[in-house]
Formats: sequence, structure tokens, C-alpha cells
Amino acid sequence: MAETQIATLVVAPVRDLMYQWHRRILRAFDYDAGIVGDNLSNIKPITVTTYDSAYIHMDKMGAGFGLLIFDEEHHLPGRCRREAAILSAAAMRLGLTATPERSDGLHKDLDWLIGPVVHHTPFGKATGSTLADFDVVRIPVALNDYEQATYDQCSRVIRHFVISRRKQWPGYTWQDVCKESGKDPQARHAQKAYYLKQSIENRAAEKLRILEDIFRLHKGQQILVFAGSNAMAIEVSGRFLIPTILSHTRKRERLALLEGFAKGLFTVLVANRVLDEGVDVPEAKVAVVIGGQASTRQAKQRLGRVLRRSGNARAILYEVVCENTKEVERSQKRRRSDAYERTLHRRV
Amino acid sequence: MLTSEHSIVEFKAGRAIPDRLTQNTHRHYMDYAEKMLSIYRNDIGRQRCWLHRQVETLFADEPDCPVRRIQAFCKLLDDAGIFQADPSGKAAGLRLEVFSRAARFHPLVQQPDRLFEHDEKKIKAQLAQELAMSWDQVGRALYADVMAFQRLEAFAGYSDPGALLSRYNVAQLQACLYRAESMIVVVTDDLKTILRYAKLARLLHEIVRLGPSKYRIVFSGPASVLRETRRYGVNFAKFLPALLACKGWKMTATVQTPWKTHASLSICEANGFTSHLPSPEQFDSGLEESFAKKFGPKRDGWQLIREGEILHDGQKTFVPDFTFCHEDSTQVFLEIVGFWTPQYLARRRETLRRFGHHRILIAVPQRSLREGASIGRNVLVYKTALKLAPLMEALERIRTENGTA
Repeated sequence: MAETQIATLVVAPVRDLMYQWHRRILRAFDYDAGIVGDNLSNIKPITVTTYDSAYIHMDKMGAGFGLLIFDEEHHLPGRCRREAAILSAAAMRLGLTATPERSDGLHKDLDWLIGPVVHHTPFGKATGSTLADFDVVRIPVALNDYEQATYDQCSRVIRHFVISRRKQWPGYTWQDVCKESGKDPQARHAQKAYYLKQSIENRAAEKLRILEDIFRLHKGQQILVFAGSNAMAIEVSGRFLIPTILSHTRKRERLALLEGFAKGLFTVLVANRVLDEGVDVPEAKVAVVIGGQASTRQAKQRLGRVLRRSGNARAILYEVVCENTKEVERSQKRRRSDAYERTLHRRV
Repeated sequence: MLTSEHSIVEFKAGRAIPDRLTQNTHRHYMDYAEKMLSIYRNDIGRQRCWLHRQVETLFADEPDCPVRRIQAFCKLLDDAGIFQADPSGKAAGLRLEVFSRAARFHPLVQQPDRLFEHDEKKIKAQLAQELAMSWDQVGRALYADVMAFQRLEAFAGYSDPGALLSRYNVAQLQACLYRAESMIVVVTDDLKTILRYAKLARLLHEIVRLGPSKYRIVFSGPASVLRETRRYGVNFAKFLPALLACKGWKMTATVQTPWKTHASLSICEANGFTSHLPSPEQFDSGLEESFAKKFGPKRDGWQLIREGEILHDGQKTFVPDFTFCHEDSTQVFLEIVGFWTPQYLARRRETLRRFGHHRILIAVPQRSLREGASIGRNVLVYKTALKLAPLMEALERIRTENGTA
């Protein structure tokens, strides 16, 4: 930005990150950047905004900026959000991300929305220099008898239903189950069984016990806990009396919690998906994933939360996974990411 | 009111058919409706998620019931009840308090030993004591602001199961109309009432006289408005029960299908939707309301009359929001434009021209103007609310011009 001396627009995924950029620019250049978004519209030679505001307002402000910076650029190729790049006249564009791949394949469009890749640091090279050294530890837990019985019962309901349907219609898929659920109580039962299974995986009682052990092990260290659902996040929060950040947490509370965490007032923070991306939490060296999707992107981004190097501290990411459930499969899928290559397995 | 996530519409042969439960096809739903109402009536004090789960279980073995229908019923029942709310952020404050106090005891363990001596139960009891509550109360209040955990405080409900089902039918119709691009209503009887509610809801409309007491009103639908589509859609939906309660009308709407094609939705009085006139207070007509209040009944010799007069010019019809009468019998009409589309503004300009011999003022929002747009003589521009000074000026100008002419 200093070199080109050109009006710059920084686009971040969410408001929190937009403000983070604003603070960083203030600190680095001593410049109070303009903000477009969060009910503000204050255009300056350096302006920060979000993807959503960018595509809504780009037709009016697009001519003014010569350099666009897309943070977490994998958000750009979405159906509406791409307009932000298309409507702009900027000749210089920069995209940043650790996880360019999208499951819908649209990341190919980044080549013309922004430009070709100019720099790529393989994961292995970054660890130890810019990123902290780290271990991924997978802890399998068992469901308790009651949970396991319900879980198996649900699996039987689903399997039975799908098999009986496939006899009539070979190619019967999960989408068909959802479609039929309005007309057929059996399909609805199968659908419900599926959600119940998910909820059992997410909220297994044993996970709380393992969490207790991890908290004992890392007493005094800053820890981030990633839950698979809001309900589980709230349950963890209620059990250990530690703060949560959820999608509906208001800005004021969110800032207070993040600040408290940065200052060490709180040692643990629980979140569902809000903390997945971008937000800087440099002090945390320990993360615990107690539930989540199969996507490698989420896995990498969550790992990224504890990888910012500070000193020589080694980062640890725990993955608590229910044995004998679909969660094992999801965990294996996540492992396709190169970052997870050296996962340790540990039995507790 | 439902949102589009609750909407069930079947598109068949160019027609849109919103979900409707009738005596013939869904007689057994009366029973469900009764049971749903008793769940809400008997379980005051329960959490929202618990109530929803009960309703869901009710329909577990019903062959004909899409998930959206269950969710829609839950929404309508929720709407008729009052849930404990947390507007002042008390829960968030309590959380911060509890978590900060608990931080020094971290981690709370279930089997304390020498190294980790903070027993979960003991610490919780201790914290509760510090806050002068029982732990049960603290636990309840901690996440009271999460929608799903809010507790039902009162349930006004519906007068009988039939009322819930007719509300459902109207609500599905409303939800279907969120997709409307335009709606044409042909009116023979209750024109004044229908217009009054259309004005209250600030709908964009054009009126054409078809015969002695037959009018056609063309409304722009939510899908055609550029900004504030959600608010316009809600107003549009609020207008519908008023229309259904009136007599002598026929309505045809053009709605967008999910495949970007068009379908039509026609209903008339004979379709038998039951509804009642909503009270005018339900409408957010703040702009006129605050303006009328500011103006007062009389000011500088001008009197403000709320009841709009219907002006005709051949087929064209114009109904202003306000009429101003001066003591010297000068009459000036005013329309305040709230929602707008470029096409609507263009048609309004045309109307102004046509009714030039009447003295009409039009107030338009500043953001509807293009940069450097020339503002006509009888157009007032406002930012958030119409100011009195420029209006009085315009009124006086018209009056003196009138006097000299």
C-alpha cells in the first residue's frame, strides 16, 4: 500500500475481522482508515469493509479504489459476493488465504476474479518459521451405554428405511428421504433419527469428562474449545463456567470476552463456528475440537487459530472423537489436509 | 406472521397454490390444532424449544405433514404468546459476572484431588451465594437471551382450533405473497376501507376507475421494490387480512417461482378465507402519524383533513394522503411517498401532470432522487421526516398564486 500510493480497499469476511484490519492499519500506519459496513459508510483512501457490504456498495465506490485486498479470499467466489470483484475497476488485486479450495469448485474463478497465484508456501515450510510447531492429538472416546444404544437404534432405523426403499428404487439417496419426509412418517422418523445421531455425537457425556482432563493437563494455559453445535457450546459453558462466543453473541459482549481472553482474565473460550476464521487470538496454544464438520477447510482454519507463532511454544490441537460413530469417518476426512499428516493417536 | 422459510407453495401449470388446510382435505387437523393449543395453554413457563418439540412429536405419525408446516404452526403459536425477553442485556451482564468470578477457580472438576480442588458443585453453590440467588436461578438466567431457551410467560392463543387453522391458511397466503411482483385487486364494494389499509401499509399503488363504482388497484409487490424489501413485504402481508375481511373484490397476483419464472395466484371473496380487520395501530405508519401530530389540527389558518378525497380524471384516479383547507377555501392535497421504485416515481410524475389543475404536493424521500435531479415545483424532498417549514412555505405559495390568478 505504501509503495503503490494508491487508494486501497480491504475486504474481510466478517465485521470482527473488518475492525481487526482497522486496528492493525491504525497501529502500522497511524492512519484511521474508513469503514463501510456495520451501518457505517465512511469512504477514505484506505477503507476496510466486509464481503457483504463490498458487493452491495461496489457499484458506487468501485471507481475510487486502485488496489483491492481480499482477506480469506475463498469467500469471494460466492454467487453474490463475486460481484465485489466484477464491479470494481481496480487494476491491482491481492487475495490472501490459507485454504483456497472450496467444496463447490468455484475457487477456479479466483484466477480471473483476482488473478493467478503468485506465492504459495507449503504447509511444511511454514511450520517452525512463521507458524508454531504443533501436534495434532486425536482422543477417541466411547459413548456411554445409553447413548450407544440410542445411537445404534437410530442407525438401524435409517438403514432399515433406506434399504427397504432401495429395493424399489435403486439409487435412492438421502435427498429423497428429505423430500419424502412431508408425506411419509417413516421417512420423517429416519430423518429425525439422523439428527438425533448427530446430536449424540456432538453432545456425548464423555466429551465433557475428557475436557476436564485436558483442562487439568493445561492448567494456566489459554485454551480454545470448538464445539459442533450451539447446544454443546452452551453445555460446556454451563458445566465449566467458561465464556462462549456464539453467532448471536452481541458485539459488546463479544469484544469484552475476546479482550478478557487476550488479557488472561479468562483462560478458556468456547465457540461453535464464529472463531473458526481469522480472529487473532495469539496467546492460545491449545485448541480442543469436540465436534465439527468433515471439511478440511474448517479443520485447517481451526488449527490456524493456535498456529500463530509466539516464542517457541509448541501448539497442540486435540480432536475428541466418539468411537464407533460417523465422527471417526469425518475425522479421517479432515485428515486429508496436509496439515494433519502427523496426527498422534492417544488413548485416555 | 410467517417468513418465507415457512412458506409452502405448489406451482402447477402456471398457478401458485399456497398450502391450505380445509374441512374437506384436512378435517383431522382440527384435532391437532386442539392439542397444539392445549400444549401452549398448559405449559406456561416452559422453554420455547421444549414447546416446539412437543408440537413436533404430535405430528410424528401424521402421513401428510411437511416439516415446514410444523414449523409454521410453532411460529404462529409463538406469535400468540409472550415469551420472557431480555431486552436490556441482563443475561449477558450476568454471564460476564459469573464467568469472571468463576475464572479464578478454573478448572471446575467433578472429582477434586490435591492439585485440583475446585469441586464443580461446591463452587457453583458458592458463586450463587455471592450473587444472592440459588444456582438453579443462576443457571436459568445465564442463557435466558437465547431464543430457544426463552420461557413462555403468557398465551393469548386463538379462540378455538378453527381459528388457528384459518390463521394458518391466511398466513400461508401472506407468505406466498412475499414472492409477489404485482397484485391487481378489482374492487366493487369496500373501496374506501381497502384504500385506507393500503395507505396505512404504505403500499405502492395505482388506481383506475373501471365503472361507476368499480375500481382496479394495481399494487407493486415485495419482489419489485429495490430497497427495504423485507419491510415492504411485511407491510404487504399485513394488508392482506384487511383485504380478506372486505366485501366485493377479486385479486390476482403475479409471483416469482424459485425457477425465475412467473405464476399467478387468484383469490376472491368466494374462496372463503376468514379474517378480520386488523387494528390500524398495527401498522407502522410513523411518517404520517408523526407528521399529523406535528401539524396539529390547525396551523396558520390551514386545517388538516386525514380522510383522503378521491380525485378523478377520466379513468385515472388519485387519492392523496392529506387534504389541507385554508380559511379562504383554498384546497391543497399532499401525498407522502415512502417506499418507491423508479417506475413508481415516474408514474407519480405523470399523475401530477394530469391532475395539474388540482393543487397537489408530493413529498419524496431524498434517497430516491438521482444525483443532480431537477426537483419540480410541487415536489417536497425530505430526509427522514417531512419538515413543517418547507411545507407551510409551499402551501402559502400555492395560496397566493391562487389569489393572484
